[in-house]
Amino acid sequence: MKITVKDLSTIAAKKNNELNTYKAMLMVCTGTGCVSAGGFVIRDELNKILEQKGLDKEYLVVGTGCNGFCAVGPIIVVQPDGIFYQKVSKDDLEAIVNDHLIQGKIVDNLLHHGKADDSAKKTMKEIEFFSKQELIALRNKGIIDPENIEHYIAHDGYAAIGKVLTDMQPKDVVQEVIDSGIRGRGGGGFPAGIKWQSAVKAVQKRGMPPYVVCNADEGDPGAFMDRSIIEADPHAVLEGMMIGAYAIGASEGYIYIRKEYPLAMIRLEKAIGQAREKGLLGKNILGTDFCFDIHIHRGAGAFVCGESSALMKSMAGKVGEPRAKYVRSVEYGFRDAPTVLNNVETWANIPMILRKGANWFASIGSGDVTGNPWGGSSGTKVFSLVGDINNTGLVEVPMGVTLREIVEDIGGGVPGNRSFKAVQTGGPSGGCLPAEKLDMPVDFDSLTEAGSMMGSGGMIVMDDKTCMVDVAKYFTEFLANESCGKCTPCREGLQTLRETLQNICDGNGCESDVKYLEELATFINETSLCQLGGTAGNPVLSTILYFRDEYQAHIQDKCCPAGYCKLLVTYSISENCIGCTVCAKKCPVNAITGDRKAMHVIDSETCIKCGICVEVCPVDAVEVK
Amino acid sequence: MSGKIDVTINNKKVSIKEDTWLLTALEAENIKIPVLCHHKDLTPDGSCRLCMVEIEERGKRKMVTSCNYPVRSEIKVFTDSDPVKKHRKQLGEFYLGRYPNVPIIKKVAGMCGVTKIERKPYLVDENSSACVLCGHCIRACREFAQEKILSFAGRGIKRHVAMPFEKVDPHCIGCTSCAYVCPTGAIQIVDDLNNPLDPQLIRDHGMKVNAEMATLDDQQCRMRKVGTANIVDVMDNYDLLPINNYQYGTHEEVWKIDSWMLQRKYFTQGLPDGCWKGCSMACAKTIDNFELKTGPYKGQKVTVDGPEYETAAGGSNMGLFDMDAIAEFNFYCDTYGIDTISAATTIAFVMEAFEAGIIDTSVTNGLEMCFGRSDSVLELLHRMSRGEGFAVDVGKGIRWLKNQWNKTLNLTDDQKAFLQDIGMEVKGLEVSEYVSKESLAQQLGYGMAVKGPQHDEAWLIFMDMVNNELPTYEDKAEALYYFPLWRTWFGLYGLCKLCWNDVTPADNKMSAEPQKIPDHVHNYFKFVEGMTGRKLDEAGMLEESARVHNFQRLMCLMLGKGRRNDDYMPFRGIGPVTVKEYESRSDRYDKQLKEIVGFDPEGKPVEEKLARLREYREEQYDKTLDVVYRRRGWDNNGVPTMERLRELEIDLPEIVAILEEYQKSG
Repeated sequence: MKITVKDLSTIAAKKNNELNTYKAMLMVCTGTGCVSAGGFVIRDELNKILEQKGLDKEYLVVGTGCNGFCAVGPIIVVQPDGIFYQKVSKDDLEAIVNDHLIQGKIVDNLLHHGKADDSAKKTMKEIEFFSKQELIALRNKGIIDPENIEHYIAHDGYAAIGKVLTDMQPKDVVQEVIDSGIRGRGGGGFPAGIKWQSAVKAVQKRGMPPYVVCNADEGDPGAFMDRSIIEADPHAVLEGMMIGAYAIGASEGYIYIRKEYPLAMIRLEKAIGQAREKGLLGKNILGTDFCFDIHIHRGAGAFVCGESSALMKSMAGKVGEPRAKYVRSVEYGFRDAPTVLNNVETWANIPMILRKGANWFASIGSGDVTGNPWGGSSGTKVFSLVGDINNTGLVEVPMGVTLREIVEDIGGGVPGNRSFKAVQTGGPSGGCLPAEKLDMPVDFDSLTEAGSMMGSGGMIVMDDKTCMVDVAKYFTEFLANESCGKCTPCREGLQTLRETLQNICDGNGCESDVKYLEELATFINETSLCQLGGTAGNPVLSTILYFRDEYQAHIQDKCCPAGYCKLLVTYSISENCIGCTVCAKKCPVNAITGDRKAMHVIDSETCIKCGICVEVCPVDAVEVK
Repeated sequence: MSGKIDVTINNKKVSIKEDTWLLTALEAENIKIPVLCHHKDLTPDGSCRLCMVEIEERGKRKMVTSCNYPVRSEIKVFTDSDPVKKHRKQLGEFYLGRYPNVPIIKKVAGMCGVTKIERKPYLVDENSSACVLCGHCIRACREFAQEKILSFAGRGIKRHVAMPFEKVDPHCIGCTSCAYVCPTGAIQIVDDLNNPLDPQLIRDHGMKVNAEMATLDDQQCRMRKVGTANIVDVMDNYDLLPINNYQYGTHEEVWKIDSWMLQRKYFTQGLPDGCWKGCSMACAKTIDNFELKTGPYKGQKVTVDGPEYETAAGGSNMGLFDMDAIAEFNFYCDTYGIDTISAATTIAFVMEAFEAGIIDTSVTNGLEMCFGRSDSVLELLHRMSRGEGFAVDVGKGIRWLKNQWNKTLNLTDDQKAFLQDIGMEVKGLEVSEYVSKESLAQQLGYGMAVKGPQHDEAWLIFMDMVNNELPTYEDKAEALYYFPLWRTWFGLYGLCKLCWNDVTPADNKMSAEPQKIPDHVHNYFKFVEGMTGRKLDEAGMLEESARVHNFQRLMCLMLGKGRRNDDYMPFRGIGPVTVKEYESRSDRYDKQLKEIVGFDPEGKPVEEKLARLREYREEQYDKTLDVVYRRRGWDNNGVPTMERLRELEIDLPEIVAILEEYQKSG
């Protein structure tokens, strides 16, 4: 049934009343991470148990999008109290139903324990991982069923487009977005409002109907912000695009999403279907003159297709290669029409900006964006926190919080008795920041200044076992493999960088290499055709900037301080050895010999430096030097 | 449209047209910039990065590739700054390192200041004709031949040129464009077709045509996008598009049937559709999934082959400003095997006679034959196909209809004369779709055409009226000698004439005889030479053609239609027939009467002005006939003389017999 603007509040009230009739709601995380650990099974099993016990009218099981705290999944949150159960298995469900729901007793062994005092935390609010976060883009994560449009509407969903269509002129919408200061969350940090304004001008100049495009081609290793937003709250993205379309006068929108995100795609398709059914997409949206529809285009997984011009080519069925953007895609974009492309997170922010106002948004974050979106970084940013960190997961924090707050307070620091070495931000072509940079604010300009970048929000934490030359090599290799090869600096330059780094890691580096690497990386950054190549030198440049010593050690001393580069290290067993023989038994090439209760010896000729002995030794007697 | 922009190039101020590629501007200043992926006839790509220069815009400096950087603001350009030199050197090292033996790479690296490399790269290709990934071949395939046989495959360092699925693609048409533009010889041509004597000569000139198509067609005739339909717009602009049986030359509703309408709403496919695979013009266009509203295929979805100019203009000549109706007319003419031009012109004649009250529904079997009635037009076509009544008469053409009506209807002399004036046929063939009233050259082109008034033999309207390339009387008369022979010549060799004049060289206007498009005529001579080894020039061409043309004229004579009397146009093709027609363009006609005829039209009745104008124009026509006959070596009755036959060495007994027969009968 097609609805009008007035119907939105009625639907919301009705749905909220309906949900309030339940004694409690069990929010089962069904984001991709928890699903792979059994999220769907838990949801279905829980429903079955409630049904068997005749409790299904009193309790509602909701499969939500990613909760964010991926490290401890599968997760169930019992609302409205916010009781947080972690690492739930199928076998725990009886206990949750019997103890918690029926008897009112919290299941202690499923609670999260804080790092600082090791005390059990009952509710989400008490857990450090959540307490420092501020949610805008992820406002509905874990609290709505992403596959049910009425859940979204019940949480003020589509209120923004309702307001825009009834009370605002397109130019006012553009102005509101400019005033909010929101900068593109996909990496570039270009003010979204300015982009929209240029598109409006281009439409006037060229008289061609424009397009809006959502870039959901998230390809950075270790990044899953966009996927999680779509999985948790697909309608937020659709609503954002609708507002954008109204603002620039588009009647067609496309979402370019990678095929590797099946769950996100299913939820997006369902959301579009439901929105069309309700008259929120299609002709005469909400009973107004505004017509707009959204199509999904599936990407085949090339990293470079996240670059806007390559994305648009790929969408048009051509080879996904970037073009020079001396003429921007807001002027000549998809099908040569003016095109506004924003990333998932940007679109998801838009409804909140229109609902709560530009001033509210601009007041969050760092710097001052009044009258100049370049003046700071307003709003929040979603990061996927991964690597050597305790609390792996998805976090949203106001711009300007320090790296330390993210890594130590929210992330819970580096696991084991290792120490923090670096954090890599901004995806493969971002940079690695060392411990002394932990107190810097995280926003667009500070990160760029420090030789890294915001990127789309991947954050990879590395401990002291990580070799920074190897890290540079890893990311360079990734980029060399993903380079489309169109322009010479990126194609030939990255290959040469890779070879040079390989040589250094193999102990074949020479004195002039570091200078050569710096020159070459700068050359690639300055002369490449697109931003893939234009930032591809960053991993090398930032690791040289902050970890030059490690390069020198590899080149001059032929040693890898982190003990990672195989050709530069030797394994030996120290006097701490208790002769337990475990290492000898586990060694895949039988390189370790020694009698029971006597010190063991590694034959360095046979040793393949696989590291198994290090892991299995109960007394840390295996030394890597 | 575009303005000029002041740009500082290496501290020198120059003024550049907005949106010019920066490289073009630099080359105009004689600044040498190394390039590899750049090719003068192909879209800039910006992939080799060699042409990078530094620009300063609003105080900020950055590197840009000059080949695809459009000049849009007042920038400072530095082509030789330290960063430019440094980056160029690095690129030169990469190229020379990877392709050390390729001559063009050595040259380009030399321009970058690199003659030997410091760091040997991981990948080295010792081949002296290695592919250097410039992409010329791929762009030529797309832009010259409009095909997509070649593309890059593989990412990063694995990038290479390939055909789909790394197999030899049978769809490759062997046009050799890719090999032609390859700067290293990485693509080889194997000539094994037709054994031309000098394939390279043919190729050199063929590629010139390809390059012009790729770079100029979009700004000139848009043949690749809309085919000949582009002429609808031009003719309407110049008051030359036939409306309602050639009464008028322009109409406010033409936008409904013009080429933009066709491009936006009708033509589908978007693929090159030429007479043969490999034509870089590929002007054939079609409408797919067109649902028919009438006739035996009513309700079915069909493919319409067209419409081309003559069909669309045939539509306006019948007063149809409805593209659906024109497309349906097009489809059924093709399906029934009826010529769209003869059908449209004949029906337009019937319509005017109907509206003038000379015939009525008792003659037309109930059909309301008014201008603009697409239902009547289509019903008439269907009846024609079934062989029913009046429709069969219409199918016999205008000359037959005039005779029939003169005989069977009770017509006044005025009415008979009127039918004679508006029945647009010569030698029994209906006139094609151009208003020739203001073009003396086109009038005689039609009238004197041996095969009847089609636009194959003498299409002079464009050069006379649009390009204004025949300004004097002598020019027009000479054109009537040269062009029928030139256009007949295409037929002798079976060559398409569209690539002679539907794209013209950018500097054609500067040539001595722009109407002839000498550069393109030369192309054809070279095609003949490349194929046969025989050198050809204008005199040789004219002689070859004149032999056939004179032979045709004598055939015409033998068939009873080759004399002066047969070379007259109906007056509708020469000037205004009716008062209404005169009044619709009275400024033009009054001016002509006053300035050329020497008759003051002030206060005179239109009938008198019409008569004076007619007198003058018929006189001009007659005079020109005399001049052209003489130029062609014909007597003043339009028959080739014996001397001419001897001169052309076609004084064969059978032909001489025809001439003697004519001379005997006087």
